[in-house]
Amino acid sequence: MFPYTFVADILCRVETPLREPTFLILTALAGEPMHGYGLIAEVARLSDGRISLRPGTLYGALDRLVDAGLVAVDHEEIVDGRLRRYYRLTEPGGELLAAETERMRRNVKAATTRLRAVKAAPRPSRGFA
Amino acid sequence: MTDLERRFARWTALFYPADYRRTRGSELVDTYLSLAAPDRRRPSPADIADLAAGGLSQHLRTARGLGPGFRLAGLLALTTATTCATGWAILEALAPTPSWSLQVGPFLSLAVAAWAAWLLAAVVYVAASGRWFRWAAGLAVLVTAFIVPAAALTGLPRPPLSVLLPQIVLGVVALGAAGQRLWWVRLMPIAAAAAILPIAIGTAPTLDFISGYYDLAATALPAAAVTLLIGALLIALGLAARRDYRGTWAMLILLTPIGMLAVNPLGAVLDDSGPGRAMIPAWSSMVVASVLVAMIGPMLLPLALVARGQLSAGRRPPGPGHCPTCGASSTSA
Repeated sequence: MFPYTFVADILCRVETPLREPTFLILTALAGEPMHGYGLIAEVARLSDGRISLRPGTLYGALDRLVDAGLVAVDHEEIVDGRLRRYYRLTEPGGELLAAETERMRRNVKAATTRLRAVKAAPRPSRGFA
Repeated sequence: MTDLERRFARWTALFYPADYRRTRGSELVDTYLSLAAPDRRRPSPADIADLAAGGLSQHLRTARGLGPGFRLAGLLALTTATTCATGWAILEALAPTPSWSLQVGPFLSLAVAAWAAWLLAAVVYVAASGRWFRWAAGLAVLVTAFIVPAAALTGLPRPPLSVLLPQIVLGVVALGAAGQRLWWVRLMPIAAAAAILPIAIGTAPTLDFISGYYDLAATALPAAAVTLLIGALLIALGLAARRDYRGTWAMLILLTPIGMLAVNPLGAVLDDSGPGRAMIPAWSSMVVASVLVAMIGPMLLPLALVARGQLSAGRRPPGPGHCPTCGASSTSA
């Protein structure tokens, strides 16, 4: 969208591990193309209402993801005289999301294994006999 | 168009760059309207704050050359700060110490620690990574700022604020110099310091604490300001001729340290305490000049960003009869 910009200089390389809102935006778009309002609602649903994006924040994140080639504009339509633009996940976006999901899955597995081991092991005595 | 939509469109027009509004304004307003409760008539303070933050982010996003401009300004500021620190360090070491004042070992004042920290930062800039340089330059800024309370606590002499303040402001801008990769660019601060060395060594023994710090603050620092101003201006013009605007941003960023270096003549302009123009103006005039520079200088960059965003791509903002959000004509064909 912008060939060279300040943000392209600093922020275009979307940092990994992804921040949770970015991860949820990519997850929301993995299902089907969505417009801004739909994305905000889907991110809120995916996070059980914990993350409520505002439009200014959402479009800033979308611009960054579009610049990084992870998200692209899918199509546009006019609703009630106003433009509605739909976004979709690109192939590199899907690959990044899959890699992030795998990384998180490994972390969850490691944590679960440790917690099970702690539960199974007898508790060490803290007091004097 | 409802009242709420009109108000969202006005706030969007206020905060966002014109080009962005043309392509995304309608979509942005539509999303805000979809989220608004049916009985809402005005944007909430949280919506306005979100629009302001989003608009600022877009102004930065579309400002071509701003990032490299910070790096260029940082390099020029570091070169100036290193040159000044070299001159002051030689003065500390070679000027005769006054018999009427306490002294810090063989040196004139506590500020020798700050000048040493600046020379260390210049060496780190050449020899180490950007991360190490940021630590070294940050430390130099802190040591320079700490000279004033340290002198107050110990009773030891320190240079006037008109020497320390420009060095601190130059140091803050110099933090942006990190990340330069070309070796000859990284050598520039050390080269400038080496160039000033013979002059400093030749002059310092003829000066003392007062004629060194106070008189040079009124003559050498404004000369450094003019040199930096002309240098930055020439670089900005040369780069702008190739449609590279980092020099223009660097120029705007450097106006604050340039103003601080020239605080003596600026204070003299404001000083009406006596006939003629004072070489060293009244302290109150210098304070007023410093406050003005500190307030106006940092505002120039955001103002330029907003002005550039509003009038970007050589297009005029939409006039009457045009949608304030997308700029399209509201008259139907």
